[in-house]
Order: sequence, then C-alpha cells, then structure tokens
Amino acid sequence: MYSNSMSKECIAMLLAGGQGSRLMVLTEKTAKPAVPFGGKYRIIDFPLSNCVNSGIDTVGIMTQYQPLELNDYIGNGGPWGLNRNYGGVHVLPPYSKSKKSEWYKGTANAIYQNIRFVDRYNPKYVLVLSGDHIYKMDYAKMLAFHKEKGSECTIAVLDVPLEEASRFGIMNTNSDDSIYEFEEKPKKPKSTKASMGVYLFNWDILRQYLIDDEHTEGSSNDFGKDVIPKLLSDKKKLYAYQFDGYWKDVGTIQSLWEANMDLIDDDVPIELKDPDFKIYARNYAHPSSYIAKSAEVTDSLITEGCSIEGKVVHSVISTGCTIEPGAVVENSFIMPNTTIKAGAVVKYSIISENCTIGAGASVGVEPEDPKAVKKNICVIAKDLLIADGEVVTE
Amino acid sequence: MNMTGIIFSNIYDTPMGELTKKRTVASMPFGGRYRFIDFVLSNMVNSNVSSIGVITKYNYQSLMDHLGGGSEWDLNRKDANLYILPPFATGVTNIYRGNLEALYNAISFLNATKPDYVVMCDTTVICNIDFRDALKSHVESGADVTAICSSTIEDYECDSNDLVITAKDGIVDDLAIGYMLGESSKVGMGMFIIDRKTLINIINNYVSRGRYSFEKDYLLTSFVDKSIKINAYEFKGTVLRNHNVVSYFKNSFKLMKPEVKADIFKRDAIIRTKVRDEAPTFYHESSVVNECLVADGCEIKGTVENSILFRGVVIEEGAVVRNSIVMQGSHIGKSAAVNYAIIDKDVDISQGTALTGAPLTPIIIHKGQKI
Repeated sequence: MYSNSMSKECIAMLLAGGQGSRLMVLTEKTAKPAVPFGGKYRIIDFPLSNCVNSGIDTVGIMTQYQPLELNDYIGNGGPWGLNRNYGGVHVLPPYSKSKKSEWYKGTANAIYQNIRFVDRYNPKYVLVLSGDHIYKMDYAKMLAFHKEKGSECTIAVLDVPLEEASRFGIMNTNSDDSIYEFEEKPKKPKSTKASMGVYLFNWDILRQYLIDDEHTEGSSNDFGKDVIPKLLSDKKKLYAYQFDGYWKDVGTIQSLWEANMDLIDDDVPIELKDPDFKIYARNYAHPSSYIAKSAEVTDSLITEGCSIEGKVVHSVISTGCTIEPGAVVENSFIMPNTTIKAGAVVKYSIISENCTIGAGASVGVEPEDPKAVKKNICVIAKDLLIADGEVVTE
Repeated sequence: MNMTGIIFSNIYDTPMGELTKKRTVASMPFGGRYRFIDFVLSNMVNSNVSSIGVITKYNYQSLMDHLGGGSEWDLNRKDANLYILPPFATGVTNIYRGNLEALYNAISFLNATKPDYVVMCDTTVICNIDFRDALKSHVESGADVTAICSSTIEDYECDSNDLVITAKDGIVDDLAIGYMLGESSKVGMGMFIIDRKTLINIINNYVSRGRYSFEKDYLLTSFVDKSIKINAYEFKGTVLRNHNVVSYFKNSFKLMKPEVKADIFKRDAIIRTKVRDEAPTFYHESSVVNECLVADGCEIKGTVENSILFRGVVIEEGAVVRNSIVMQGSHIGKSAAVNYAIIDKDVDISQGTALTGAPLTPIIIHKGQKI
C-alpha cells in the first residue's frame, strides 16, 4: 500500500453501472459502456481515452449491472496505458461493508460508497464521468478553467438547438459562466447550455456533500437531482465550461445508430484518426481484412479481421465480420464477429455480436422518407441466428 | 518437457536488398499488419515456450520498437520473458559470421534458462506450427537434433542456404545445402530442436575452432562423419518461404487465398503483433477495392486491386494501385498510378506519378522517399 503522501491532483470516477434499458436487447447481457461502437471500440473507450489523453492516470469505474463483460474488457487497463504501479484503472463494484451492504442507489451514492477509494489518492479534484457518451474532450482544459475561475464545481455544457433543449439538463448562467440555476428537461428552456454529464469537483466539497446527501431523507442520491441543486442552493461556486466539439448521448437505439453513421459523414467533427488524441481500445489480433473481387464497398468503415465478399454501402463493419457473396449491407452498424450469409439483405439495422444472418434473409426496412429524422432501426440481439430466408422488420 | 526459444533476427538480411537497409529481416512488414518475427514468436508462445531470446546483429532499433517489452505476446510475465540479445561491443567479435557465433554471445542466456530443449528459428519462413509436436517427435526419435522441414511446392526455387534432406522413417539419410537431392527431398525451414546442454557444448567447441555455421559446420560435417543422428520432422501445413524480394512479393499475395489464410491465421493459435490503435479503414464513396488485404487506419478514395495495404495508408482520388504492396503510412497522391511495386513505409507518391514494375521485378520505393 502506498502512503498518502503521494497524491494525485485529479482522478476520474466513471459511472458505468447503468443498465441502459433504452438500448433494449443490446444491453440484455452487457452493461451499456461495454456496448460495441464504431467498428473496434466500446462506448467506454471514449471517456477512458479522454482521461489518458488529458493526463489523468487514475480512474475508478463503478459497475454493478452485468459487469462480467466490462470487467473482462477493462482487464488491467493496459490497452489504455492505465496499468500503472500507482493509480491506473480500478473496477469498483458495490461490496459488503461491516455494517451494511447495498447496491449503488444512485450516481452520487456510487461515489459515496467509494469515498475510501478516492481518499487513497488524496486528490484535489475529482472528475465525474458517465460511460454512455461518445465525444473527444481534453479534460485538462476544463481543469484549467476550473482553477482559473476558482470554481468549486464545474459542469461541461454543450450548445444545443433551442427546440431540443427541453430534452436535456439545462444550465442557466451569468455572463461570467457562473451557474445560477439548473433545470432538468425544462418545458420552457431559458438557455441552450446542456449538461454533458461531465462534472469536475473540488474533492473536499464533493466529499462533504456526498456524506450530507447520504444522510438526507428522501434523497434519490443522484448528481443531477440532488447534489447539484443542493450546491446551487448553498450558493457554492458553480461554473459552466463550454465544450464545442462533437458529443452524443448513445443511450437509445436511434442515437447509437446515428453516432455510428456520424463516423462516416465527413461533415461531423468526430475524428478517430488524430494521432495526438487517439481513441484506444482492447485489440484482438485479427489479420487484415480481405476485400474480395466480388465485393463492393463504398462510403463505409471496415475494421481488421473481416472478410468482405458482398456489397457494403454507408455502414460500419466491426472486427471479425464476414459478409458473404451477394449479401447486401446498407446504412447499418454490424458489431464484431457477425456473419451475413450469401444473399442476405440488411438495411437500417444494428446487428449485435456473434450473430448469423441466414442466407437470403432480410433484416430491416428502408424508411419511406430517408430524410426523416426518426428512423425505424431494426436490432438483432447478441448471439442470435436468423434462419435462411427469414424476414425481420423490427 | 520444455523448450527455450532462440530467434535469429538477421542472419539472412542480404537477399531482401533495400528493404532491409534500415531494418532486420525479422522486422520485414508482412501481410498488412505483421512483421516476419510475429509468426515465429507467436508460434513459440502458442507452443508454451515461455523464455525467448532474440539474437540481433545490427539495424535492430525497429525490431526493438516492435517487440517492446513483449506484452503483446504475453511475454512480460514473471514466468515468461523476452530477451533481446545484441552483440557485446567487446569480446570475441562485433558482428556475427554465422549462427553459432551469434549463439556464442547468447551463451549466458542459454546457461541461465531452465528448459531441457531449445527450439531455434529464423524468421523468414512463415507458417503456423505447434513446436510441441516437433519436440515430441524429437524426443521419441532419440536423435541428436531435429530439423523441421516441409515438402516443397511447385514454384519453389532452391536457395543457396536451404537445408535439403531425404529421410527414411523420419531419420535423415542424405543431407545437402543449396542443392536438391531429388523429388522426394524435403527442405528445412530454418527451425531446429536440440538438447540445451548439447547445444552449449557445440557452440563452445565449434566457435573456439573458428567454425561458425550450425548447418554447414555442425550438421553437415557431423552427418558426413556419421557422428550424429538427425531427425526430420515434417511439417504438413502451409509454408511461405521468403528468401528474397521476389518470393516475398509472391507470398504476400498468397495470404488472400482462403486455404492459405485459414492455415496461417488459426483461431486457436493466434498470430499476435504490436497494436497501433488505428481507427477502422474508411472506404469513400469514390473507392473501388477488389481482391485486397487492408489493415486498419487507411483512407481509400481511389482504386485498389490485388494489393496489400498496411496500416494508415492513404489512396487519394483517381489514384490506381494494382498488384502492389503499400506499407504503413504511405500516401498515394491524386491520379497516381502504381503497378507491381513495393512501396516501403512513409513514402509519398505525388499527384499524377506513374510507377510500373513487373511481376518478377517489382519496383521498390525506399522508406520515407518522396516521388
């Protein structure tokens, strides 16, 4: 055990316990942060890589829902450079204590239950993250802002269109970016600054508020509902940190599909290739992809380990997939190790890991209006076999 | 029954010409994302060889960069290690005149390691082999040394360093170097299994008498003297021998054949390599890609046919690449035309340039060049 004299300036606590029920069958067997994304990633790779790229080398990941796959994926943190002698990545499930044992009751309670973990590093600042957003962000800049403002709690915000603001937690700010009001999904939004679910706290303050919150009768132990409002009513110094890059909550099937399509779209500013800000992922040693003579691939992302003999248009194909001759994949996201048999047609779909779409089967339907925002995305759950010739429309 | 692994990283650098000017033959890029050494190293790890020494002579910076601490091959464990064994700056000699002399510099490694047997390999022969089967054959045969060999395929051309063997009931009855002994002869794969203590004795005895080649000085002369018994272990899987630029060029494309691919990249015996964390490859709307091996991190806007693209290659709009190997990080400019070429790492082919080689004489563009 290291002594407390070695301390970290800032550590991150990543909330990965949520079930992600809006992702339906995709999270039946998997925690949301472990859901595959973008060909070779999982959602959690984004916040984890952000931490590493921002110089944060200590991350606690709080899990409780279907943690097996996530634990396996994180391992010792080596793929992200988080296999440190002091610090590094730690998976933190709820555990029995001498007096009582309980699940994580809410986002704030999850960190409350891990106060001893945080204290070991004696940090000045604690960054609270969630495991269901796709974005690339340098938290070091946010920390600099936090220090400059003398803030006690800084919340990263994103400008959203006014008509969408009522779907988000909205921060109402003064001209100096200080927050005077927080409204969760306001009917009549006064600002367009939506919370990204990225919070930076002074640990001494957060620690006290977590303890107080735990002893508050009727609290739901949630950051958005309880802790932030309490900080505001106590007139603590809260600031909104403006982020203007790409950010997407991939909490629904529609948004998960959109975020994958965004990777293909040239106009969307999410750059996976930036060598100075890489997104790291666990790698499974697959050979290069084989693109056969019969293949036709356009406007798509294809990851290593695939064998493509069919047609792929405007789609994201993950590691280890096989697209047989005559198969067609359009406007879809195919997760790792799935096989699309000869002559099968997949459109506007998300196909999970280790599926087999039988020969001549048809999955998904072309929307009547391809420009419509809301699409009917067909989802096939993990390890499923769609029989030859079967037709699946939702 | 355990083995220690020895890998010779650059005994046969010369035939690769310009491609090994700035790297060892062991670090020759192969198959889109691999280096030669990945295959033999993965084979050893998959065969439970847990202590591996890599003998290097010169140009080994790129090799060391590739191997790192060995973690990609699970060789950074308390009970499994990777040792890079460069020549001592002082001592008997600075550069190696043969593999026995190279082993002489590795003698402290061989003394310190515990397993009873040693598997020694070059890196130019690509295959997916389980050395445990070869060891079993070695022990059962009671021979002094086992030479791992294979039958040859149609386009095989005997190389001057090839060990050619004929065997009866697995025991070698004729032996030659660089000369075919007839249709039934097998050809060595540059892989041997030998008792560790015997090997140490051989190294000490031969090097002290100015004899440096394991094959020519030890195997061949001892065989002629009838003082040793050699076991021939025939490997039946796919074998890709990379003797020179032409065979390297041909073999690269063989990886696209389903039967070759299935035999080399087995699910239960994975070939591992260094991870580079590239993004998936993007195929633009204008791209036409046929019969290719493509690694991650590429961006394809032009036409690519019957070619191998390594990681991070960019093919601009209107560019046409055919029958070529394009290595990591190279950039093919707009409307450039490349046919029968080996484009080494980080090359920039500018707009409109045309480069054409021939099937047996691919044009080679050196690392980092701008054309």
